[in-house]
Amino acid sequence: MSATSITKPATSVQPPEEFLSQPEYAQVTRKVRPAPPRYRNEIGKYSVYRANNCRRCGKCAELCPYGVHTRPEGYGLLNRPFDYRCIGFDCEKSDHYCIDACPQGALSIAANPCFETLGDYRWTADLIVSTWQMAETGRPPHSFLESELGDSEGGFDKLRFRFPVKPPADLRREDISTEVILNRRKDNRPELKMDVPWYGGGMSFGSTSIYAILSRARTAKAWNTCTCTGEGGYVDRLIPYADYVITQVATGLFGVREETIQRAPIVEFKYAQGAKPGLGGHLLGDKNTPSVAAMREAVVGTSLFSPFPFHSLYSVEDHKKHLDWIAHVNPRALLSAKVSTPVDVDMVAVGSYYAGAHIVHLDGSYGGTGAAPNVAKKNIAMPIEYAINRVHQFLVDEGIRDEITVIASGGIRTAADMVKAIALGADGIVVGTGELVGLGCVRCGNCESGRGCARGITTTDPGLEQKITLEWGTQRLVNLYSAWREMFVEILYRLGVESVSALRGRTDLLMHIDYENDGSKETA
Amino acid sequence: MRDNFTPAPDLSLERAEAIRQSRADLRPKGEWFPKSSEAEGGCGVTGFACTIPVGGRHIYEPSIQMRNRGNGKGGGIAACGLVAKDLGVSSKVLKEDYILQIALLDPKARGQIEKACIDPYFEIDQGGLVPTVDDYRDVPLLEVQPPDIARYFVRVKPKILDRFASDKKLTGLDQRDVEDEFVYQNSVRLNQEFYSSLGEKRAFVLSHSPNLLIAKVVGYAEGVVQYYRMEDMRAHVWIAHQRYPTKGRVWHPGGCHPFVGLNEALVHNGDFANYHSVTEYLAQRNIFPQFLTDTEVSVLLFDLWDRVYGYPLEYIIEAMAPTTELDFDRLSVEKRRVYRQIQATHMHGSPDGPWFFIIARNAIKTGQFQLIGITDTAMLRPQVFAVQQGEVSIGLICSEKQAIDATLASLASEDKRFTPIADKYWNARGGSHTDGGAFVITISPNNGVNTDTNGNGHCVMTVTDKFDRPVKLPADQSHCDLSVAIRQPSAMDLDEKLIDQAIAESDPRRIYMHIRDSLESWDYNQLRWFVHQVANRTKERAPSWGIEALTLALDRRYRIGVKKSSSLSTIIRSGLEEIFQAQPLIDEKPLSVYRRITWDTREELRGPEDGEMTLLIDARGFRPEGWDCDAFLAKKAYELGWRHIVHYNTRGQRFHAVGFGPATDGLRIDCYDNPGDYLASGMDGLECYVHGNAQDQLGQITKRGKLVIYGDVGQTFLYGAKGGEFYVLGNAAGRPLINAVGKPRVVINGTALDFLAESFMAGDPLNGGGFVIVNGVSIDENANVVPLDLPYPGSNLLSLASGGAIYVRDPYQTLVDEQLNAGMYQQLTDADWKLMVLYLEENERLFDIQIERDLLTVDEVLRDPRDVYRKVVPRRDVEAEAEMEGLGG
Repeated sequence: MSATSITKPATSVQPPEEFLSQPEYAQVTRKVRPAPPRYRNEIGKYSVYRANNCRRCGKCAELCPYGVHTRPEGYGLLNRPFDYRCIGFDCEKSDHYCIDACPQGALSIAANPCFETLGDYRWTADLIVSTWQMAETGRPPHSFLESELGDSEGGFDKLRFRFPVKPPADLRREDISTEVILNRRKDNRPELKMDVPWYGGGMSFGSTSIYAILSRARTAKAWNTCTCTGEGGYVDRLIPYADYVITQVATGLFGVREETIQRAPIVEFKYAQGAKPGLGGHLLGDKNTPSVAAMREAVVGTSLFSPFPFHSLYSVEDHKKHLDWIAHVNPRALLSAKVSTPVDVDMVAVGSYYAGAHIVHLDGSYGGTGAAPNVAKKNIAMPIEYAINRVHQFLVDEGIRDEITVIASGGIRTAADMVKAIALGADGIVVGTGELVGLGCVRCGNCESGRGCARGITTTDPGLEQKITLEWGTQRLVNLYSAWREMFVEILYRLGVESVSALRGRTDLLMHIDYENDGSKETA
Repeated sequence: MRDNFTPAPDLSLERAEAIRQSRADLRPKGEWFPKSSEAEGGCGVTGFACTIPVGGRHIYEPSIQMRNRGNGKGGGIAACGLVAKDLGVSSKVLKEDYILQIALLDPKARGQIEKACIDPYFEIDQGGLVPTVDDYRDVPLLEVQPPDIARYFVRVKPKILDRFASDKKLTGLDQRDVEDEFVYQNSVRLNQEFYSSLGEKRAFVLSHSPNLLIAKVVGYAEGVVQYYRMEDMRAHVWIAHQRYPTKGRVWHPGGCHPFVGLNEALVHNGDFANYHSVTEYLAQRNIFPQFLTDTEVSVLLFDLWDRVYGYPLEYIIEAMAPTTELDFDRLSVEKRRVYRQIQATHMHGSPDGPWFFIIARNAIKTGQFQLIGITDTAMLRPQVFAVQQGEVSIGLICSEKQAIDATLASLASEDKRFTPIADKYWNARGGSHTDGGAFVITISPNNGVNTDTNGNGHCVMTVTDKFDRPVKLPADQSHCDLSVAIRQPSAMDLDEKLIDQAIAESDPRRIYMHIRDSLESWDYNQLRWFVHQVANRTKERAPSWGIEALTLALDRRYRIGVKKSSSLSTIIRSGLEEIFQAQPLIDEKPLSVYRRITWDTREELRGPEDGEMTLLIDARGFRPEGWDCDAFLAKKAYELGWRHIVHYNTRGQRFHAVGFGPATDGLRIDCYDNPGDYLASGMDGLECYVHGNAQDQLGQITKRGKLVIYGDVGQTFLYGAKGGEFYVLGNAAGRPLINAVGKPRVVINGTALDFLAESFMAGDPLNGGGFVIVNGVSIDENANVVPLDLPYPGSNLLSLASGGAIYVRDPYQTLVDEQLNAGMYQQLTDADWKLMVLYLEENERLFDIQIERDLLTVDEVLRDPRDVYRKVVPRRDVEAEAEMEGLGG
């Protein structure tokens, strides 16, 4: 792999309209293409130093299969090592370990102290960097990075797969289906099938930059799945992707108009967010720039708080009426109720079913960007892994499980998390933070401060948002989806399960390490 | 301010403590923890109280109207003020005995119950099973066989009662109070033994009150009446409930409403947030809920404050829905002192969250029957009150107005003394100093005679608020007997000629003005005859003139003298109906500007052909929502090219003027009767006229267009609205314009109950932004525009807003800083007035509320607008402006 590639890091200002007019990008495909980081010195696990006594023999560049050492064509000098690609001490036993191979002994390797500071217990540095790697390469990350588990000591990090000794002989990876049907009610509305068992969660224009939003939408189109507007209104630039964009109706009703409801394949009612149940959305004044304010028809520079809950909804019969309203406005849309996971989440789910929802979207507490207050993120909702199974069981007992689609979200970071959530009883997954990490998020948690994200993701600042271009963002996410799907299929293959629907509710394929100490069955 | 304060009655602490002690052994065995309540959503609730006893079939219609507020998994009714003959007992027995009704989930339990809980303690004057239809499957929508009900008319045996009083140290109590307490405790024990302690429930007490009974089923409320054959059983007070439990499988009606206290039955719409806290509060007073619903604890609270604490109704209501904020400050000193004590003592038992109660009560000591509606302090559930007065009088309380009208229509079809429209409809303002958020409809015996053996009573009705202040109703007005045929009056040739002239000159306003100016001199027959003439003479030749003339007569307010407004509306509406019904159906031949479509002809819908302008949709038979609702048909009609659509005979069907999409300029929608919730939500360019009161959640996210309401509008009007013009003749209930942005421009001629324009973000009104004009007036019985007591009574005005403005007509400077939260008052400027006048002129044209005569004239002096209106703006805006000015130097 060469360090140069067709998708160069972003440097130039490029409005999306101009970009879309280029025939090469008008159609977006699933094709994986390298999408290297936007910054010259990406954070990696290791630091590789080349000392002054290097005599430019180029041996290291010849040896390294990971592209750490490169020499631009026609130059004698080597590039400074791309050490974020280095697999570290795992390389020692190989025949291409540059440190030993350097005739001058000019190379040295050490753990990167910066890496230690990255991430948190849930999103560990390994998970962040492995997600970056997937977004860059479109392939599962190298095994030197832990790409399945975090260090949260709870949630999905406590669950392991119970792999059979041998998968069934007749199961082939290419036959494994990752499709998910979203409408199970048989009510004259479209069935809607996604090619992958996940779709993108709601992030508003205002909270997230237009480039991030469009990259997500284009990726959704490429992979035949969906993304969601969030509650800040429907940006006109999304219209070319309308068949893949969910309109959110949230408590502030910002930017919700009949035409935005009518063009959506799915309308999502945001009753609550798992990251902050009991709180509405909020956008602090600094991020309410003139373009955001125009979209929401609000006053520039004022903080915009969405109420909690809907002011017109105080009961399940109000809830039904609310869904009936949107169903009336758009007779072909599916209705999704996004709810948090209180202790009676099973009742909430069954209430959503009776109100006419096609999808009940359970948003657990592990998710949320830096905008959600910590005290809410960490203390209120029920952990998603409990909520999924509780809802699944309850709907089975009520005899209505096959008439409603259960979608889970909130801290689902990896393909392994997705498999676990579905095995617990969900039909599909919503991803949010994972995509932002794919776009280069470092999980610093400053999404809401000042002009927003220093990496140009959750910002509406005209300068900062130029840090992402549409082509780069789209390619990163297309790659990430590709890698996720490959890893997802691999786990299903090893489990001997032929489809997402066959996986649903298979808790027998999972174990909780606190209650089962049979370490031999643990995954790597 | 006006305050008819009643001193605290002699409340005996010893008495409360004695009753509490007497219940000590009702505590379930072992350590007691409050259990979770069953999840349950909102519901449909309805109730009415009438001066004559009426049959159970009249609770059908309102129940059917509110089916979409339940899900068929629970319905129940209570009847109070019964007729002895219908129950096969003597009047004395009915008056004095407790009616013990027990639901036998296990029919075999009956013998054991009688042996354990009835025979040893009670004298039974009558006992047996309540008759039912033979096969429950004959009753539509009953999913589960309802339980048999055993009914006993009982008194406690004197010896038993004496022993009970001495054992429990209740000898200080009045004999009847002791007997009440015995009955109550016996039922708690019965439920404990046969219901709450068992995995397999066997039986439970439905009700145990004198002259009041409860029945409930898994199904819809109307199923109760049918299954237990109560269509003809008469009562003064009926309440019903459609339940919406979110648990899927329900096999018995134990959790259904109503629940019984002792002398009252309660139905509830809502959901407490503090069920746990309330059950703990009750447990401290030795009351242990057995049915795990918040409705049960609500009635237990009522019974506690009523029988144990001996509170008057006002204090009970205060304990339920405490008066807070500015409303508290506006109470008299004495009331504040008492209320503060009540709140301090009972706040933990006060239900928190959205709730609305309807209570049927046998006020046994005064011989009165009561219907009580109480709303929570924040008014989070829908509620409508209505009365009709006349030879017979009736008061009604419902979740939705169409349920009220359905009740009246049902009664009117049977008894000509009722009319299909009420004299007055209104909302309560929760926890307020104005009405206390509660109204009590009391049916009192006249001359001490309650009901004779035929059930025809000699009763009178009074309607009072929480503070026992009567609701003002026009006196000396009489209803029209619509069952009498119209006779040709003498000397009305000129009137006839006037109709023809108006038609010839295309001037329908003349017809309206003639009705307006002649009404006081006409009798009902003359009015009916004239309206009929209008209909008859226009329906073929010039239906649009007839419709316009009569619609004006329906929409406008003018002097009606001794006639009832409800009778007037009914007569004019029937004239309109005559014209509507004369228009050709969609599949019929004759040419007309109008085409009519009905439920039966809905499949024939087609686009307008030559000269056809207006599609009349007769909403009867259409579903309230979904593919089969009339609003959905209207959408299809619009797609086919219709640009004027009229919905009439609506009964709560929803989503009128909704779903037409962007840029609907040129589309006009008219709604008559009872159009439902969400009307005009999302409208973008169209015009919609509601000829009467409108319901809840109107105009959500509207963008452009015009909405005119010739009446009141319900909760959360214009939530998240972005623009458009709005004119409301009457009041907007709670939370109008919450979270509205952009540029909505609104004129409310009445007032809003509370939380007007919270989080308003509508820019600068003088620079294209949005605003609300609150005129704070009403139109009295003489058709004069008069100011309300307070132009805006709520505690929250423009709270936490960042844009927009409110212009309040407040010539007496009643608005105070305490009503604001991050807002401020400002002097009106010429620019403001120039902007307002544009909308007030349209308001004048629509409602005949004149700017100079009605709005700017104060105490008979024409004032400067700046002395009449006050502007309320967000404080932040002003600060920012000041800063900007500073910067600009």
